[in-house]
Amino acid sequence: MFAYIVRRVLATIPVMAIVALFVFSLLYIAPGDPAAVIAGDQATPDDVERIRQSLGLDRPFLVRFGEWVFRIVRGDLGVSIFTNLPVSTMIAQRVQPTLSLMVLTLILAVSIAVPMGVVAAWRQGTLVDRAVMGFAVLGFSVPVFVVGYVLAYIFALELDWLPVQGYTSLDQGFFPWLENLILPSIALGGVYIALIARITRATMLEVLQQDYIRTARAKGAGQGSILFLHALKNAAVPIVTVIGIGVALLIGGAVVTESVFAIPGLGRLTVDAILRRDYPVIQGVILLFSFVYVLVNLLIDILYTLIDPRIRY
Amino acid sequence: MDRRGFLKAATGAAALPLGTAGLAAPALSQTAAARTLRFVPQANLANFDPIWGTQYVVRNASAMVWDLLYGVDERLEPQPQMVEKDEVSADGLTWTFRLREGLRFHDNEPVLAKDVVASIQRWMPRDPMGQMLRGIQKELVAADDRTFRWTLNKPYPKLRFALGKPGTPCCFIMPERVAKTDPFTQITEFVGSGPFRFVRNEWVPGARAAFQRFDGYQPRGDAGTWLAGAKRPMVDRVEWHVMPDAATASAALQNGEVDWWENPITDLVPTLKRNRNVSVDIADPLGNIGSFRMNHLHPPFNNVGVRRSVMMALSQEDYMRALVGDDNSLWKPLPSIFTPGTPLYTEEGGEILKGRRDLDAAKKLLAESGYKNEPVTCIVAQDQSITKTQGDVTADLLKRLGMNVDFVATDWGTTGQRRAMKNPPGQGGWSMFHTWHAGADCVNPSGQPAMRAHGDGAWFGWPTIPEVERERDRWFAATTLEEEKAAVAAMNRAAMEQVLYAPTGFFFSYQAWRRNVSGIQKGPLPFFWNVSKT
Repeated sequence: MFAYIVRRVLATIPVMAIVALFVFSLLYIAPGDPAAVIAGDQATPDDVERIRQSLGLDRPFLVRFGEWVFRIVRGDLGVSIFTNLPVSTMIAQRVQPTLSLMVLTLILAVSIAVPMGVVAAWRQGTLVDRAVMGFAVLGFSVPVFVVGYVLAYIFALELDWLPVQGYTSLDQGFFPWLENLILPSIALGGVYIALIARITRATMLEVLQQDYIRTARAKGAGQGSILFLHALKNAAVPIVTVIGIGVALLIGGAVVTESVFAIPGLGRLTVDAILRRDYPVIQGVILLFSFVYVLVNLLIDILYTLIDPRIRY
Repeated sequence: MDRRGFLKAATGAAALPLGTAGLAAPALSQTAAARTLRFVPQANLANFDPIWGTQYVVRNASAMVWDLLYGVDERLEPQPQMVEKDEVSADGLTWTFRLREGLRFHDNEPVLAKDVVASIQRWMPRDPMGQMLRGIQKELVAADDRTFRWTLNKPYPKLRFALGKPGTPCCFIMPERVAKTDPFTQITEFVGSGPFRFVRNEWVPGARAAFQRFDGYQPRGDAGTWLAGAKRPMVDRVEWHVMPDAATASAALQNGEVDWWENPITDLVPTLKRNRNVSVDIADPLGNIGSFRMNHLHPPFNNVGVRRSVMMALSQEDYMRALVGDDNSLWKPLPSIFTPGTPLYTEEGGEILKGRRDLDAAKKLLAESGYKNEPVTCIVAQDQSITKTQGDVTADLLKRLGMNVDFVATDWGTTGQRRAMKNPPGQGGWSMFHTWHAGADCVNPSGQPAMRAHGDGAWFGWPTIPEVERERDRWFAATTLEEEKAAVAAMNRAAMEQVLYAPTGFFFSYQAWRRNVSGIQKGPLPFFWNVSKT
């Protein structure tokens, strides 16, 4: 197992290298000029050119790529073209809100979606099942920003229960932290809940047809025990897989959610950086997201062995 | 206590036995909140060097932190600000300035004449008026700690205005060690002598910036308007909360989570006006001027006849209604390149933009001008609502006129790059792009690079119109208002006849604030001094 983990961690290196090359090349060929954005609308062409030179943006691709790779292997993500702050500092400023949002959404989604899927499978064809599936269709269909606006209108503007926007750091208290994240997590969680609930239902339906379930029933096991101890445990591998895949959904959804609720997270940092062509920040954040995604997949693979003893690496 | 306050207290009380820190809120934070002004700016404060980056948002934040030698008042007259008095020699060539006593930087070091000299020298290469001054400068020296002397080769009557104008880049005064930074390189230390100091460790670019009252600031004794007179910080702290989404900013203002929103979009204004806790008013009486810029280097717009046919067909009402909706008080037709309602405003030569639009006559002129169906590469930044809206109207106009439109939908970052390219449109260049100018930058010919027409060195589009340049020089040399008006009128006539660029109209934008905030002025930038909150 240990050897497997080491192998998988080492395998992330070429993956990250390809991502790095891809990101750098894509940004190089993409149109846009950070110098023009920095200089502002009133700047003259000469001003823009002087700024471009001072930032080293006029140098050849290979020189810039070589320098960047040299810095990356030393753990230096570079300095933002616009803010003059190290990219690592900017990421550090933004990690907590995004991580908080994603973790809370994950907890919320799993704790709602799995029981929903189990109940829907148990009550297949009934009103409960249709209601769950109807919710799943809604969750997939309604964009995150629409859910966000509706929630903010009801719970912030009309009822005045929760704030519209912002983020309070966890070190300023659990409740202020939670208060700012409830609406964004629900908004972001919708599609995730729908995805997990559907997979849970489908997998559970399959598992509930198995012989060992019939045996458990014949032995007189209770319904709860059959559903959650016998069936769910055996249905867990695809569910865990989907939860892992869904992290990519969360990363994408966080970009929109953070904008709607003005949360200063990595999603907004990414969008701002792309709009301004802040190359070092874009490269740093995408590398980080890629690394997280690779890591989550590794964790999921390891989880398989805990869930299903038949799986060994 | 409002409902959320009640809920907070209730959940807090429930959490007390658990020892959580969730309830600290009540009295102390409420008092602190009353001393903190929370502001939603028009854009993200992505950098903080007003000379290196000339975006308006940077200028607006910088005006809190760095002070000016002069500041314009609401009549656009420059008044002494850091300067106590000035003297100009009889031949107009030597200016001697004396700084006010007691001026200090945020690190408590005194503001000295050498700091001013270094700041002016950093500002000059980046500013159109500064570049002119550098061209005629003989000597700029610190005579003693509070006196500096500027000797020129020829008189420059607009010197006070140059040093106090609100248009970017402003001549902000920095410590000498900071001001010695190359003007094309970003500064790394944000020490000014303005009424607020920048709290650097709380700066999260893209999200938040904070400014603390500077207790060592010495406001002038006279009453303050705009950038002139007393700048009294009335709150302890100003926080900028960047909100990319207008609906979120609107909801946050209505909910009392922020106090002042710089630029509510027109669609949301009716909702804000219905809220009894919110005030809404025009942000800047000098407004904005929409425009599109044609490339004078390449066909078809290197042909003045083609440019004039587009101007003849152009309906400013179409542009303005698309931008601001049905509220007629929010826009004005503008047969001029200058800001209406200001002393030098003129419509001389603007007949082509007045009256009923005659598309047939425009088509006839286009045919007579020799237009050969060359593609018009119209680059339109879709991520800026003003440019996108104007671009859509222009595309429709050109099609109705019978032109071959190549509509390039892109973003501002790409527009900024592409408009600097002088290649023909088919080889990566362009034919036209859209933008807008702050009215404050168009009150005279000094600060708006788009008004230059000196060919290769001019602003994007590179027009060559000697009459425009000649009249601009006449304005700079003018010593009376009558002379200035005559020069500006002739300049406008030349700009309209040769189509320097196409103004699409004059429009206002709103600002909104909570009613417990007072002292907010209408002006070309948000002024945070003399604003209080209860």
